[in-house]
Amino acid sequence: MSTVAAPAGPAPAGPKRRLPAGGDGVPLRLYGASRRTVNLVTIACGLFAVFTLVPIWWIFVSSTKTVNNFNSTFGFWFSRPFVLWSNLKEVFSNRESGSFLQWLANTAIYASIGGVGGTVLSAMAGYGFARFNFRGRNVLFLFIMGSLLIPIVAFAVPLYLVYAKFHMNSTMPGIFIPFMISPVSVYLMRVYAGGSVPRELIDAARIDGAGEARIFLRIATPLMVPALVTVFMLNVVSAWNNYFLPFIVNNSAKLYTLTQGLQVWFWHTNIPGSTENFTVITIAAGMISILPLLTMFIVLQRYWRGGLLLGSLTG
Amino acid sequence: MPRWAGPPDALPSVAGGGDGQRQEAAPLAVAARRATGRRSFSTRRDRRGIVFVLPFFVLFFMFLVVPLAYSVYTSFFTTRMIGGTVFTGLSNYTQALGDGAFWTGMGRTMLFAAIQVPIMIVIATFFATMFDLGVARFGGGFRAVFFLPFAVPGVVATAMWGSMLQTRVGVFVRIFEDLGLPDPNFFGPGHLLGVIVVIAIWEWTGFTVILLYTALKSVPRDVVESAIVDGARLGRIVTRIKLPIIRPAIILVVIINVIGALQLFTEPYLLSPMAPNISANYTPTVYMYNVAFSAQYYDLAAAIAVVLAFIIILISAGFLLTQRRKGAIV
Repeated sequence: MSTVAAPAGPAPAGPKRRLPAGGDGVPLRLYGASRRTVNLVTIACGLFAVFTLVPIWWIFVSSTKTVNNFNSTFGFWFSRPFVLWSNLKEVFSNRESGSFLQWLANTAIYASIGGVGGTVLSAMAGYGFARFNFRGRNVLFLFIMGSLLIPIVAFAVPLYLVYAKFHMNSTMPGIFIPFMISPVSVYLMRVYAGGSVPRELIDAARIDGAGEARIFLRIATPLMVPALVTVFMLNVVSAWNNYFLPFIVNNSAKLYTLTQGLQVWFWHTNIPGSTENFTVITIAAGMISILPLLTMFIVLQRYWRGGLLLGSLTG
Repeated sequence: MPRWAGPPDALPSVAGGGDGQRQEAAPLAVAARRATGRRSFSTRRDRRGIVFVLPFFVLFFMFLVVPLAYSVYTSFFTTRMIGGTVFTGLSNYTQALGDGAFWTGMGRTMLFAAIQVPIMIVIATFFATMFDLGVARFGGGFRAVFFLPFAVPGVVATAMWGSMLQTRVGVFVRIFEDLGLPDPNFFGPGHLLGVIVVIAIWEWTGFTVILLYTALKSVPRDVVESAIVDGARLGRIVTRIKLPIIRPAIILVVIINVIGALQLFTEPYLLSPMAPNISANYTPTVYMYNVAFSAQYYDLAAAIAVVLAFIIILISAGFLLTQRRKGAIV
């Protein structure tokens, strides 16, 4: 066991038989991982990937079908006629209990305000907690983190009751403001700022005469980009996917989120074996509702990989 | 908005010069800092930290703390159709706690959490460490795939699984049929909770993998490198170095998931028209919703919310304490 492995330097070039380098750039060979381990782990990943992809594949296949084929053909494969386009058209023209397009737009508004607002607020707070020793810092932080222990459902009915006093039920701000408040994001930002924004750099900037806002915007923010992107995504996603909160504080079909609208449609359709065309329309609508977030993931993916900028401080 | 920017007024007087003097003043300031000690240099600046925290805190206070306080307040009152709102002390609480309907749901969600959370944490920790060490081929691709369900709203996830599993026409039911097996009746009393467990695992595992993976990535590389130099193998590096270091993150993830699990609402609520076994008190949250909006007993619902929050806090805090006794957390 005690054979001294070479420290991770440039790995000696074993031209073809090399195992992939580890996630942290350490050649796997040095961990003592055998080819067999790699294969077994890869197979396990593959199985879980299948489990993950099954419903997504199903929703895509199903939204290309007519309702008769949906009820009678094999669910995981296509069948003729291929009616994806007419189903999609139906999704947008259907006026069953409200307009899908309206819900899509509402959700986009709530999610972008929630995402941007939540990111800015938590980046500032996280940076403040990580890099300033103001009085009461720990108490305040614990207070905010303590709220993580309190279930969101415990806020929802109370929020409804408080909103009732201020006429905020079934209003846009009433729906999106709660999306901007994310204690988890504050936690992530604090951890990340603590690890990636060196005190020395801040002190140096102060000595050079930079104000605190400038230091935050010009020095801290660029160093926190991966965390910013991650938190932005988390906030957009939690706003986009949220159901319970809007469900409680909003009952206006005009202000529905996608999830609210889809729930209404889903309930309308789910009589087993329903032959209403509406069944496939709802499935197609569900598929459309996933696409914006998937696109965002793909676009932003390269920014949120790993602790990218941790290295750039020393370099 | 307060002015954070502007002249470097908080610098020690040595450095206080015009812009032109900045370059020359800097070494002096460093010298001054060394002489006076770091603390005195930074205390005045530090107070400004509160300004960064304030915007978040104001909204946090208004939209989370106030409603919660209000719900505690209102839970001590009872509103009747005749007689208005009167202070009734703990009567809402005795009603909520004495109600078998609440405890049935509570027991069910606890069972749900006790099954779903451990399974998911084990799966997620396994994949996160494997991705971190780069053991799996195509790690980046798998990570992206696992993360996909995070883009799917719980409503859509439930609708998809619900449709796939539904009696007679669901794709899985038809596969059973083709194999000559009886309809497993996924929404029957025996399988229903299992179905919800599967949906929840499907929804949240990938996200948990990413959380743990991010934590693992922050483990300093030299720690691992020196372990390798000392001849530690893969399994040891994971169990003796990586996982202990990220233990606080694992604990946080467990707590977040337990809290989430105990609030179970969307999945059973959406499935309820398909699954007649989902009663009005299937989970405490479903029950609270029905008490508030079907029966319109808002005060009682507020009391249920408080009790639910209290139980969840108790469980989380209890878990935290046991972890602390093992000497592992912050």
